[in-house]
Amino acid sequence: MREIAIYFACVMRYNDAYSKAIILYGIGVQDMKTDAKKIGMRWLLPVGAAILLLAAGLYFFPARGPSDSLELDNNATMGILPGIDLAQRQAELQQQLDESMIAFSINTSPVFATGGSEGNLMLENPANNAKLLVVEIYMDETEELLYQSKALPVGSYIENVRLDKVLEPGEYAATAYFKGYREDDHSYIGQAGAAVTIYVLS
Amino acid sequence: MKRRLLLSALAVMLAAGLLMTGGYAASNDAVAYAAEATQNEDIPIGSSNEVMMVGVVEPTIMSVTMPTYVPFHISRSVQGENKVISPRITVTNNSSIPVSLDVVYTSVDLSRLQGTTWSNGPYIGENQVAVGFQPETLLNQMPTTLDQTKWLLENTAQDINIMTLGAYDSSAMYVVGTLGAAVPENYSFSVVPTFVVRQA
Repeated sequence: MREIAIYFACVMRYNDAYSKAIILYGIGVQDMKTDAKKIGMRWLLPVGAAILLLAAGLYFFPARGPSDSLELDNNATMGILPGIDLAQRQAELQQQLDESMIAFSINTSPVFATGGSEGNLMLENPANNAKLLVVEIYMDETEELLYQSKALPVGSYIENVRLDKVLEPGEYAATAYFKGYREDDHSYIGQAGAAVTIYVLS
Repeated sequence: MKRRLLLSALAVMLAAGLLMTGGYAASNDAVAYAAEATQNEDIPIGSSNEVMMVGVVEPTIMSVTMPTYVPFHISRSVQGENKVISPRITVTNNSSIPVSLDVVYTSVDLSRLQGTTWSNGPYIGENQVAVGFQPETLLNQMPTTLDQTKWLLENTAQDINIMTLGAYDSSAMYVVGTLGAAVPENYSFSVVPTFVVRQA
């Protein structure tokens, strides 16, 4: 019974239940006195009261706050709101842009002896590129795919290639698109183009 | 006995001398042959001679470092005419020929911005967005105005020269743009220009 009374005193506040709990505690004290006489443990009365006061103090004190009863929001994150700092946003964009930069080399006027022979396209994926490159060449006039390479590893080159389409002798304006892929997961980054003129001699 | 030894020594000396003169003559022949191969010869004054010159045309290699993807933010809260927050876009020509950087196509997707349309210039309506490129005028500083902006055209073939670079040269530019008061915020849209570098 004593334990029940202390429990109620701890959880009730500002209402009738609190008063009832105190009454219950009083009953508990009466019982305790009877029990104490029976078992010779009078020291339990002040100890119980002290525990009661301590529990009540711990419960009410933090909720009321130091001076103005404001509670701190558990949902708040310490720091500056993302997007407010202009320099930080620009730095993040710069990091994304730097990752997208590609370096490449190509012969601007490759020559093919015949439409079906190899020509000196001279594609290069430089060692400082840090990404895989796939090259596709499209004829400007018809947007027809003339050549598609497989992935060039970093620090490699292809000197001579044979076009996927046999061209008649002549001069063709074309655009070579260098498509960048990440080395680790082969995900696509983006592309950049280079204008070339293809010469087929005979 | 002594006379015999002296005669044999003389014979050896003569043989060595013959060998040395033969080697010298052979080396002179080699020089003469080399001279003939390069067609160095004396020409009588007043006469003419044909000299064959063989030249090899070296292929023109274009070597460039440029972006494949340009991220940017646009916000009405940015001060000035230019409402875009842009990274510094550097293009480097690593070759010995001058090159120009052009935009040949711009893919624009405004589907997430309900009611918003594209504008090809600085003059925009309430529901319009316009984006372009501007060369860097102050080092490491984003432009605040829209002067000298090369505006991008929406989903159509175009040939907009963004910059020209000399041999082993580099230059920087920024994304710039503006948006109308009724363009909804907190939604993303994509502008994907296709850069093509060509021999200038």
